[in-house]
Amino acid sequence: MADKPKAGFYGFTGCAGCLLTILNCEDELLDIFNAADVKSFLMANRANFEDEPLDVAFVEGSITTEEQLEKLKKIREKSKIVVAIGTCSCYGGVQSMYFGDGNFEKRWKQVYGDAKIELTEAFESKPIDEFIKVDFYLPGCPIDKNQFLEFYSQLVRGIPPKLPHYPVCAECKWNENECLLMKGKLCLGPITRGGCNARCPSNNVPCVGCFGPADEVNINSEMKLLLERKYSRDEIIRRIRTFAGASFVRQFSKLLEEEARK
Amino acid sequence: MTEEIRVESLARVEGHGGITVTLKDNKVEDVRVEIFEGPRLIEALVVGKTPEEDLNITPRICAICTVSHKYAALRGLEKALGVKVPKKTHLTRELMHMGEIIESNALHVFLLALPDFLGYPSAVHMAKDHLEAVKAGLALKKFGNRIMEITTARATHGENPVLGGFGRFPSSEELKELKKTAQELIPAAEIGVEILRELRMPTYMEESMVFMALRPPGDEFGFVGDRIMISTGECVDVEEYKSVIEERVVSHSFAKRARFRGRPFMVGALARINLLGERLTGRAGEYYRHCYSLGWMRNPLYNNLAQAIEILHCLERIPTLVDEISKLKDPKIAKPERTSGKGTGAVEAPRGSLYHHYEIKDGLIEKCDIVTPTAQNLDDMELHVRVGTEVLLSKGHKKDDDLNLKLEMIVRAYDPCISCATHLVKVVEKD
Repeated sequence: MADKPKAGFYGFTGCAGCLLTILNCEDELLDIFNAADVKSFLMANRANFEDEPLDVAFVEGSITTEEQLEKLKKIREKSKIVVAIGTCSCYGGVQSMYFGDGNFEKRWKQVYGDAKIELTEAFESKPIDEFIKVDFYLPGCPIDKNQFLEFYSQLVRGIPPKLPHYPVCAECKWNENECLLMKGKLCLGPITRGGCNARCPSNNVPCVGCFGPADEVNINSEMKLLLERKYSRDEIIRRIRTFAGASFVRQFSKLLEEEARK
Repeated sequence: MTEEIRVESLARVEGHGGITVTLKDNKVEDVRVEIFEGPRLIEALVVGKTPEEDLNITPRICAICTVSHKYAALRGLEKALGVKVPKKTHLTRELMHMGEIIESNALHVFLLALPDFLGYPSAVHMAKDHLEAVKAGLALKKFGNRIMEITTARATHGENPVLGGFGRFPSSEELKELKKTAQELIPAAEIGVEILRELRMPTYMEESMVFMALRPPGDEFGFVGDRIMISTGECVDVEEYKSVIEERVVSHSFAKRARFRGRPFMVGALARINLLGERLTGRAGEYYRHCYSLGWMRNPLYNNLAQAIEILHCLERIPTLVDEISKLKDPKIAKPERTSGKGTGAVEAPRGSLYHHYEIKDGLIEKCDIVTPTAQNLDDMELHVRVGTEVLLSKGHKKDDDLNLKLEMIVRAYDPCISCATHLVKVVEKD
């Protein structure tokens, strides 16, 4: 191929698990690097070229400092397509579970006390689309390897990639698992985006919601089912917030408040 | 005249960091291994939550040490709540943990560190001339991931290990597969040891060192224990970790720092081999006895070779481990005896001792303290970067990219895991 698409892989705040998942494609790794002209992948490579325009940038992690925000904006400026990879980048990740609750400064003091850190200004963790336009979202904590490979190969061939819109619950039924929710477990399968092939419920472990919320789910029905199974409203909301981050506020909090008032 | 040597972005490490060396009149005035990785305040987030929620959240501190975080959290929480897990659960946890040690050590030795020693910017560039080594590294890494897929349900952040047991135990077919692959991969692991032992290890950063590691019970080499061993000869219970690891916040890092009696110290594969190497048997033991020298007590670059020997140890241990696991029936998930209590759990993560301390009241976490290996190693990295810079400049080395590379190699030898380091360390009290 004469002109391979130019790609960059970037990481911000998170556990680096999504970039690691890409490096975990052991059998396909050399192909991934051959299918595109990889200009930047700091986690894997010492020689990176940051001044060149990109066709596609993959961005992992949430944004928590001014310095990261500057870098993120530069990535957007030079890239035709920006893909948010992983739950941190898409929704803010576990570090954003209390997104928008106004208690960030209190938590900061709990960990760092009054110590001064001079590096850069830090703020509450936010998903990248709080700051820039995002063209595609590939969620997951971490992203699913097979889903990434399919997505990547479509993208580098110029085919618009498609992702599942159905919840984990659907995949779980296709796998013919016994329903954990019906057995009284706090399972978030009905409201969580699919793509993992119902990995946890297939191992007899309830879904923790790590792919973030699916589109158009019935949050109040999930709440009702769990309340009937004697979980407290507090715990249910805590569990939903753990991986939903900013999308809890965007998608669920109003609906839940309205329902609770009824 | 004051000037700076800067490595802006450390490449081929997990997370985001840099090195700044400040020189005054050509003498080193200050060394800073800087952690730019943004803060996440994980310990503050788990306060007020259940142990089950903690087990979903704290492993997200770091992808490459996720199983170690899960394991340390399980040990701490189970101690606190009086959960007694049966033998099969113990052994299956040992197996899952070896998956992470193999994966992480293989990634570091073959794909992140070897390119430095052989003179390439990345493993992809190195593949042109050293395809066999790159393939061996990828095969080992894949096997480590496969172990974690089977035991934890996913290569990264698998949720199958739960308080008191496993959602599902590996099937006998899966166990057989692991045993067979472990035996087949021994030559691949030997490639790493052979390449590294043939290299002349640079000595420009050598300095006497202090090492710390967990002491496994019995007389076997291993990665879990309830006693902390120190190369000065001392040994304390893990509950006393604060008495040997003194922490502080510094202004140039979102990660905290640690010292032992005012001295920097090192944790990780090199510490384990220095303190427990005599326990190694089989091929791993033979290589240890052939390769070991006094330099291992002074030179962090030997960490790479120590990691390669550990991979071999794990591959030799897995077949026996699988046989032991296969003999036992799947137990039920063990239940907590109480809803309140305190507990400290520690395991050897690939890059060193990792502590999770919990205080639980009426089923909810009141305090959480996590001490990661990289936070413990940062001061030691700075010490050796200082020595390295002084030695290289005194020999007339130019301040160029090659000097930067040599300093980066020191930091990279510790296999720093910057995500972990940033997720700190301070006791969080519920108000």
